[in-house]
Amino acid sequence: MVRLSFSTFRERWELFLGAILSVAVGVALVQASMLILIATGEARIPMGLSRQDEDKVREGFVGAATVMGMTAFLAMFLAVFIVGSTFAYTVAQRRRELALLRLTGGSRHQLRVLLLSEALLLGLVGAALGVPFGVGAKYAQTWLLIEIGLLPDGFTAGWQPWAVMVAGVVGAGVALAGVFVASLRAAKIQPLESLRETGAASTVMTGSRWLIGLAFAACTVAMAVWAQGANLIGAMLAALGISMFGAVAMSMLSPLAVPFMAWLFGAVARGNTLTGLVRANLRDAVRRSAATAAPLIVLISLLLGLAGTFASLAAAGAEEAKRSVNAQLVVTSTGIDADRIAKIDGVAVASTQTTVDITVTVEKTQNKRVIEMNVYSGIVAVDPDAYARTHNLPPEVDLSGLTGDTMVTGPARHADRIPVGTVMAVDAAGQPLSLTVVGRMPETLEMGDSFLIPRQTLPTVVLEKGSTETVVRVAEGQDLTVVARRIEDAGFAQVQTVSDWAATRAENAQDGNVKVLTVLMGLACLYALMAVINSVVIAGVERRREFAVARVAGLTRPQVVRAAVIESVAVAIIGLTLGCLVAGAALAGIGGATNKAVGTVVVSVPWPLLAVVAFGSMVVVALTSGITATMATREGPVSLIAAHE
Amino acid sequence: MNSPAVELRQVSRLYGSRANGVAALDGVNLACPAGTWTAIMGPSGSGKSTLLHCAAGLDKVTSGRVLLAGQDITAAPDNVLTHMRRRVIGFVFQSFNLIGSLTAEQNVAFPLKTAGVRVSKDEVRQALAGVGLGDRARHKPRELSGGQQQRVAIARAMISRPAVLFADEPTGALDSGSTKIVLELLRAMVRQAGQSILMVTHDPAVAASADTVVFLADGHIVDRVDRPTTHLVAERLARLES
Repeated sequence: MVRLSFSTFRERWELFLGAILSVAVGVALVQASMLILIATGEARIPMGLSRQDEDKVREGFVGAATVMGMTAFLAMFLAVFIVGSTFAYTVAQRRRELALLRLTGGSRHQLRVLLLSEALLLGLVGAALGVPFGVGAKYAQTWLLIEIGLLPDGFTAGWQPWAVMVAGVVGAGVALAGVFVASLRAAKIQPLESLRETGAASTVMTGSRWLIGLAFAACTVAMAVWAQGANLIGAMLAALGISMFGAVAMSMLSPLAVPFMAWLFGAVARGNTLTGLVRANLRDAVRRSAATAAPLIVLISLLLGLAGTFASLAAAGAEEAKRSVNAQLVVTSTGIDADRIAKIDGVAVASTQTTVDITVTVEKTQNKRVIEMNVYSGIVAVDPDAYARTHNLPPEVDLSGLTGDTMVTGPARHADRIPVGTVMAVDAAGQPLSLTVVGRMPETLEMGDSFLIPRQTLPTVVLEKGSTETVVRVAEGQDLTVVARRIEDAGFAQVQTVSDWAATRAENAQDGNVKVLTVLMGLACLYALMAVINSVVIAGVERRREFAVARVAGLTRPQVVRAAVIESVAVAIIGLTLGCLVAGAALAGIGGATNKAVGTVVVSVPWPLLAVVAFGSMVVVALTSGITATMATREGPVSLIAAHE
Repeated sequence: MNSPAVELRQVSRLYGSRANGVAALDGVNLACPAGTWTAIMGPSGSGKSTLLHCAAGLDKVTSGRVLLAGQDITAAPDNVLTHMRRRVIGFVFQSFNLIGSLTAEQNVAFPLKTAGVRVSKDEVRQALAGVGLGDRARHKPRELSGGQQQRVAIARAMISRPAVLFADEPTGALDSGSTKIVLELLRAMVRQAGQSILMVTHDPAVAASADTVVFLADGHIVDRVDRPTTHLVAERLARLES
């Protein structure tokens, strides 16, 4: 059987090419991601940075590690998916050949061994290609992470000898996991099927396909329902789960949508012989259509689901920030100059909030040990009275006690559960302070501030160096634009309405997510592209005889190619539609969660992205299908029809 | 009289439900003695291929019993049937059914190897030489003509010396020269090795090579000719089809 695996592999390499590339790219990405992930753990913070910048670099390392972890996970998921769908498809196409092995005495077990050894071979070849690819991928990923600002300039990830082992294990593991279901299906093939002319499986919606499809669909629906009552982190994870589970469910159940699509296609393009043939082909080759649609379903589900989730979260964050402020304008400036704003004509209240460079030492209990942690970021000096008048504070927050040597913990430190009454050690430009916690602010969608401290408590030298946001409430009866102009005229260049300020703030807060998403989207696109090309090429190669028959029956070569292209585009539309359904489920989950968090359903659909991806995938499918069909019709039709084996 | 190599007792094969089904075979009784060659003929849709499939254990019968080399295979599990395909029976079909990725010699050795039997290169070469293809051992099926491919299929069926060879239109895709060679090879299997052949054909000249011709119509055995001639078979067939 191993020898047969070898010769099948050598003979029909084009069937496996896409899967090999998928494994190779998967191995390369896992290997590169692991190396970078390890390197971020050992990396040193560059010298000469301010403490806030050091924090940013540190956050960048964590962000980069998260991206790499997600990349490795997604790469493996997509590689297993593509190898799985490739083998599922090739088993369906090779049914007659596999039945022949049973006819000549092959046992069920031997058929399973055959497919598993083919997969192992594929995995090892993929891994061998993946190791050198991985070296390139490591440089590319490092460059990308530096470029989007997650890693500092000059960051490098070294080579580790175990990376080759990881590559081998991942390659073989991914291929074997992908082939597992197909090998079970192959073992059920009866020898009598070798005597059928078609060689293709008669039932597309097999029992296992129904079972897997419905089980994954049920999980998807359950997650969408659960997300309605979840918090935002939960909803975000649910959106990722919905996108992945929904993609599998829709791929499994897509053969059910094909006849409907064929009917719709017939209704739209009535009366043309070529479209009639396309419609018949669509209906007849349900499995082929489903195999081509599957990667597009995955692409759209992941891309729109994740992009929509992050965009919705950003929009919800903006909504929340907007609602948290009971004012009309926000002025951004530096130093203590902002104190002048309150005196400008038309300003009712001005809350000056300066982010200061001081150190607060937080004691945390971790694994029953008390550890000290210095916090440098998000420490804001406020005038408690003006702050309370310009913000819609939650009912449980009372800033009346925020005077003298006190502080309030902000949303960013909510998780630390610092009790009211705790005395915190503060280093304000070398001056040691002991501030008592007098209140706690609840968590928000955005990370928010760490601590609020009364301005009077801090030395002027600290306030002078900080950056300041002044939230301005315009006096009643005053024109907003006139007041804004007056503030500008007073020498403050950056005056924004609260809506604009909230949107910018939410965008900045989501910046890291957008960067992560950019990397993951690129990856998903790469895989989907490989998978789509793979399934279209396999279908084209296997259809040589069918194309020849169509030509003998009177179609010209361009007509055959055109019919193949139209069919592929119709299948792409099926994939896009089903993918949109899954993304819709993910967004429904987020909608419910944002409703719970900010009191209104905030859903942001990334329409431009959808348009670009839909158009791009159609072009790729049409081009690949056109080229494959042109190549498959190169030989004269008679020579193909006359050939038996 | 030898004991039957293949025996069908009251075999029926119904497709579809009992109420609306079509009976491809209806109460068929057939016994093919060991060391004989039996041809099955009949009009299209008479049940010829179904009979062959049921007799070889490739298809399950609805009722009745099937005995192969003395063993009842009517309700045999998959592993028993797999063993039978490896050691007791062989197949030759119109469409050759060779594995496209293997060479001629690899195709011939394949059934024995799947059964875990060691087979020497000489044995394989001998089998191929026996069908006149000693110099084509390293060719792949697509590099061989139809007649040559069928001879490889026969060599593959012969190498494990099966008690019964099932042949479905073995010469259906061959020219007259290749047909003659294939029929001579099949006759040699029966005469020299004492193997049995159950063959479906629509060609009276091919059927005339067998020891017995059985005629099938609408799932029933309707006629039988021993020591047939082409003329006699053609006449009976014409009568059936008219």
